[in-house]
Amino acid sequence: MPSTQTPPIAGVAIDPPSLRPSIDDAFIERVEPGQLRARLEALKNDGYTMLLDLGAVDYLQRKPRFDLVYHLLKLAARKATVAEVGTPARLRLLCGVDEGERVPTVMDLWVSADWAEREVYDLFGIVFDGHADLRRIQMPHDWEGHPLRKDYPMRGPARERAPRPSFANKTNVVAGTPPSGRTLEALQEEIKRARES
Amino acid sequence: MTVYAKPLSPDIVSQTGNTMVLSMGPQHPSTHGVLQIMLEIEGENVVKAEPEIGYLHTGIEKTAEGLFWTQAQTVIERMDYLAPSSNALCYALGVEKLLGITDRIPERAQIIRVLSMELTRIASHCVWLGTHGIDLGALSIFFYTFDLRENILDLQESSGGARMHPNYLRVGGLNGDLPEGYLVNLDALIEKFPGRMRELRGLLQANPIFQDRTIDLGVLTPQEAISWGVTGPSLRASGIAYDVRRAFPYTGYENYDFDVPTRDEGDAYARFLVRLDEMEESMRIVEQARRRLETPGPVMIDDPKVALPPKETIALSMEALIHHFKLVSEGFRVPPGDVYQAIESPRGELGYYIVSNGENRPYRIRTRPPSLYNLQALKGIAPGNLIADLVVMIGSLDPVFGEVDR
Repeated sequence: MPSTQTPPIAGVAIDPPSLRPSIDDAFIERVEPGQLRARLEALKNDGYTMLLDLGAVDYLQRKPRFDLVYHLLKLAARKATVAEVGTPARLRLLCGVDEGERVPTVMDLWVSADWAEREVYDLFGIVFDGHADLRRIQMPHDWEGHPLRKDYPMRGPARERAPRPSFANKTNVVAGTPPSGRTLEALQEEIKRARES
Repeated sequence: MTVYAKPLSPDIVSQTGNTMVLSMGPQHPSTHGVLQIMLEIEGENVVKAEPEIGYLHTGIEKTAEGLFWTQAQTVIERMDYLAPSSNALCYALGVEKLLGITDRIPERAQIIRVLSMELTRIASHCVWLGTHGIDLGALSIFFYTFDLRENILDLQESSGGARMHPNYLRVGGLNGDLPEGYLVNLDALIEKFPGRMRELRGLLQANPIFQDRTIDLGVLTPQEAISWGVTGPSLRASGIAYDVRRAFPYTGYENYDFDVPTRDEGDAYARFLVRLDEMEESMRIVEQARRRLETPGPVMIDDPKVALPPKETIALSMEALIHHFKLVSEGFRVPPGDVYQAIESPRGELGYYIVSNGENRPYRIRTRPPSLYNLQALKGIAPGNLIADLVVMIGSLDPVFGEVDR
């Protein structure tokens, strides 16, 4: 059976949301940071009473670098049966934010934004203006750097190794010299000569 | 420019007027693991409560960015460790949407997915009920619920190979078909369940001490619940029948007949009743899924670019060997794009916002953890209550810290 999968693409997509296949999971909007606050206020008044989630993505090579992703749900804040709830509308608001740029908080519109904004600040370093208690939430308070950024090393910052007992520091292998005594440079030289001749 | 984080508030005692700051946890036995709550108290009364989370932060989202799409599922299953299959299913559904293979998942795989989801929901509610009882001093119920949970874990072990993290639900279908003897054990569980449920209800539901401690405690009005982003049983206990299984059906839930239990009171007792009712509704779905399991069929998508070829073909077919080698050594690629997939986990709306840039590894997986938002509501409902009642409120919100901290 033939595969529906697209063939491997050349290189890597720098801005994947712009290339997305048509998936019907939400209404999608994109705003500039300047209009973010006004647009979210308008959406709240339009009935999007629930801020489901606020996350961020770091597109390292793109300008602006980060995407803030607001997931909203249009759910009336009153008692409702399954039929009355029906299929509430979902909306995804994307907002490109560059490094060092500050965005207004929406904590006063949705209290649930409190921890979500703290987490984005903690893991991406995006600062929310007007947040009452913007401090780290997942990482220790004296941590340096923002771990979910793409330029943050996967294994964490380089650290000095914990001291080991002296017998563990054996030095019977000299780094860079294989047992045959042939170094990498000599090997490459040999291959080069073989190709040329 | 750098903004420096404020350090944690002093964690033992600081006098400010008549109130005192007290740190509860992170080693307190009733904080369900590793929750620390900074309390401002006046006598025994809570003036302000600020949960401090992050003690279980293991960087699962970051780790997943360095793994193949299939490998990432292994760490993702460890987020909500009481309902691992719900994480796996949500992730698999999201990746399937990006791959464009949602319509091609075999029927039998979808039935078994629903079955696993509902069994895992019952098992998760069993842990909640047992620990909630222990928080309140009702010790015996713990043994009844953990016995029931053990039956479900045995089923999980026989199908997936592991009790806690079976990794049974995969992108494209399932790891394998149900083993021989599974249905016999499942039938035994279905038969045992109603009697066990009667015992569980009999132990707590009409217990005057339990009622005294939970009724009218930690009331969430519909408006509060919505603005805190509360979902799942906690939201339905406030009267809003929002259930992702009904609102945005996935993996064939629209074909099952079940009710969405709701209560109007919004207090801890209502949340208790809603979860008990939910366990019975889940068993109804399990029974329906059980009846549909009679017809055999494939349980993995027939697409060599996603699914491993059958083992017996590898020695006979060159293509199968190549596909096997490519899938194991470099995984499959997912077309670039982003998707938000939500399911109804035992705790509420679990969502994954998945971004792919066309490589064989996920670019970013953002979780919408239901526990995080449910737990945050504690800030709203705790003030004005006694410290002892705080324990009841935490229990009634059912947070799982693997998911809150990730």
